[in-house]
Amino acid sequence: MKNPDAIVIGAGVVGACTALSLVNAGLKVLVLDRGAVASGTTGAGEGNILVSDKEPSPELTLALRSRDAWFELNTDIGGGFELEPKGGVVISRTSTGIANLKKLSNQQAGCGIEVVELDAKGVKEIEPHLSNTVEYAVLYPQDAQCQPMLAAAQIMRAVKRRGGAFIQGENVKSINTKSRKVVGVTTEKKTYGSPIVVNATGTWAGEIAQLAGSYLPIMPRRGFILVTAPAPKIVHHKVYDADYVANVASSDADLQSSAVVEGTESGNILIGASRERVGFKSDLDVAVLRQLARQAISLFPILATIPLLRAYRGFRPYAPDHLPVIGEDANLLGLWHAAGHEGAGIGLAPATGELITAQITGGKTFMDPTAFSPKRFKQESNVAI
Amino acid sequence: MSQSNLEFTFEGQKITAISGQSVGAALLAANQRILRKTRFNENERGLFCGIGVCFDCLVVVDGVGNQRACLIEVKSGMRVQRQVGSDA
Amino acid sequence: MHNVVIVGAGPAGLSAAIAAAAAGAPVLLIDNNPRLGGQYWRLASDAVGEQGGQHYDLATGLMLINAVKARKEITVLSGAQIWSATHKDGINTLRVIQNGVEKIINTANLVLCTGAYDRTLPFPGWDIPGVMTPGGLQSLLKGHGVLAGKRVVVAGSGPFLLPVAAGVIKAGGEVVELLEANKSNRWLLSPFVMLENIAKLKEAFYYIKTISQAKVRDRFSSAVVAAYKNSEGILESVDVAKISRNFKIKKVRNVKCDVAAVGWGFTADTSIAGALGCSQIVAKDGGVVVKTDENQQSSIAGIFVAGEITGIGGAELSMAEGVIAGISAAQFVGCKVEVLKAHRKRRAKKQRFADALIKSYPVKAGWITWLNEQTLICRCEEVSTQDLKQAISELGATDSRTAKLLTRCGMGLCQGRICGRSVVDLVASELNISPTDTDRISAANRPIISPIPLGVLAAGE
Repeated sequence: MKNPDAIVIGAGVVGACTALSLVNAGLKVLVLDRGAVASGTTGAGEGNILVSDKEPSPELTLALRSRDAWFELNTDIGGGFELEPKGGVVISRTSTGIANLKKLSNQQAGCGIEVVELDAKGVKEIEPHLSNTVEYAVLYPQDAQCQPMLAAAQIMRAVKRRGGAFIQGENVKSINTKSRKVVGVTTEKKTYGSPIVVNATGTWAGEIAQLAGSYLPIMPRRGFILVTAPAPKIVHHKVYDADYVANVASSDADLQSSAVVEGTESGNILIGASRERVGFKSDLDVAVLRQLARQAISLFPILATIPLLRAYRGFRPYAPDHLPVIGEDANLLGLWHAAGHEGAGIGLAPATGELITAQITGGKTFMDPTAFSPKRFKQESNVAI
Repeated sequence: MSQSNLEFTFEGQKITAISGQSVGAALLAANQRILRKTRFNENERGLFCGIGVCFDCLVVVDGVGNQRACLIEVKSGMRVQRQVGSDA
Repeated sequence: MHNVVIVGAGPAGLSAAIAAAAAGAPVLLIDNNPRLGGQYWRLASDAVGEQGGQHYDLATGLMLINAVKARKEITVLSGAQIWSATHKDGINTLRVIQNGVEKIINTANLVLCTGAYDRTLPFPGWDIPGVMTPGGLQSLLKGHGVLAGKRVVVAGSGPFLLPVAAGVIKAGGEVVELLEANKSNRWLLSPFVMLENIAKLKEAFYYIKTISQAKVRDRFSSAVVAAYKNSEGILESVDVAKISRNFKIKKVRNVKCDVAAVGWGFTADTSIAGALGCSQIVAKDGGVVVKTDENQQSSIAGIFVAGEITGIGGAELSMAEGVIAGISAAQFVGCKVEVLKAHRKRRAKKQRFADALIKSYPVKAGWITWLNEQTLICRCEEVSTQDLKQAISELGATDSRTAKLLTRCGMGLCQGRICGRSVVDLVASELNISPTDTDRISAANRPIISPIPLGVLAAGE
């Protein structure tokens, strides 16, 4: 592709959605990835599209728009990624937990989130296999799920159909600038010129920012997911313990884990969620797997007989304030960042694409993007990450 | 050579086995070749690798699914059924 | 003194156990079958009775098995399935399930002899009940005294087809077709090696005698290329094709049968070695095997490997390697013992024979032309050839890992043991590239070795 209007680095779900938004806005887009589509964190994602796990905040506003954007995107590109409006059920079994959950859901309701409070009987009606120890839960009908690898792949397919170009297997080695303006990138094979470069490299966004002499404090937060053998329909929604929300917000480096259980179209049940700051340590940690199994069985006792088939891990990209980065670089004109979505990358991807495209093209943004601006980080050039 | 015969049921039918035989082997000896139906296409499957590697020979034994017929030794009175999809 | 811990009680594992015990080390022998002997010496229960006619060299097997049972210093853990194996700071942790209960074994030394299973290729109808592997057919006979069918087709490639066909005949079945995909004279490529191993030729002639006495013709350059089912859904017939050197179909005829045992050599099960982090390499037959040095030590100090997982080579090579691995492991735990020149010579001789065999029975890429769009590639997840091709052409998969993530190939219960190799070959063929070693090795990796009920996982430490 000669003279792209924009280069997007990263073909995970955020890069793909960004490319699609840009292409739909009429730009000539080139997407570069050092590997295949969804070869980063997207390939290890569960496919969560949640509004339930966010407190009223810019992130919740982003999530609410993004949830609807997923369904619009699904229609736009013709589906093919198992998008399911299955709804989320958040439970709590402690009195403090229940009080906090009530408070949170009331606040969320005030922001346009649908919430349905359920007592023991009510929750048993919609999740018959849930433990009898659950006496209070909140149903969030807007929570949804998709298959993230297929989503990224189908979106990239649409991007290509609409005139975008996608080059896999090329590593960006430098981001080229002139007078503080981006002029393009160079990979190990070629140099590509463009006035706009979007860094959508997720957990590696800090490294890419460094190539331009810029600074993004994005760190990996490891998570494991258990995948069971195909099972009969046991779990009907995404079900999770309310302490999940606290874990996401925690800055603790030690293992944070709370039960998250959901079924899939293919019949396997996915069990999460663990969070640890162990850099990019990739070996299997059996202790974490056991903890996840215990928590899942505590919620759904029948799971004890279901076999674990495989486990995989991914590295969520997070910024110190746990908010994604969506906006123009603090110093360089034309360098944009769309990264750092922690465990909400799938859910927040389409709205991220919309938000950054609006900023790039000078159009109207659906919300104030200031909270996500990369300018919020103390600019320290050449700081090792 | 002692041959202690055991009896078990498959889909409610009485099947005889020799002690030490696997469920899969005994069913094959009784000309029962279809052990399950797959979960997406509902296709018939039977014994394939015979040594517990392929997981094709899944049957439900005494109410528990995902049992490899080629590995499970027949016990007197066992109730074996075809596995339909992933349902136990 | 620490136990020498050995995984697998086939020819390699039994030999390693006896060698280590003879060297003075206590031994823990872990095996996932109810009876010792592995696949090669698959014994039957007393009630079924030993199927003597099904084993060529049962005597050696019984001798090893009885020697292991007799030695007090060898502890046997049978019916024990390892579900996870990890290595950290010089210690190997094996998580084993026996009778539904988990046991943890921590050991600095380890001898892996986890063997191999039949290699299969997809073809139209290969999922029909009645189509099975030669190993499966033989295991039913040896271990259970059951003949899978009355009209049996034995096909594929490799010397293993001979004992399987002979076994069917000895059990009173009819071998309606015996098909070898390669040409009959390929073994002439290594004449000296064949002469060096006269005992193996004697064995081959033993089978050939049984086969020809039953008036069965071994047809070369022939293969089963499709299978068909009847209205009940079970095997009714197969297409037998005359094939070219590259396995492309030349002429087809249909043959009625109730069993088609089709196999293409063997695939090593390196799951445990891979999970521990041992370096793996791609062998000449395209299979993934574990790298070893001349003392059968893997890339990780203290982990020794022997048998088919170091390279497909048959029972005698496995035994020769097992002896050396057992001695090396005994040395590791402090026994004063040496690997003798005689051991190395024997292994070298058996290795030469194994290398010659691999040369004689290649699997050529033409099998891909036998597939149609509906042919299943991944049996567990029912992924068709068309699904896999679309993942490449439409969804942009450029390697087998991405193709797996987008189609679910290899994500089923068998975790890619059956389809893994074929997926790598097929994806590479679609992309017009050669499969990379990385692709092959990643298709063989499965950190969760065997499914474990979540309740058992949760209860463990």
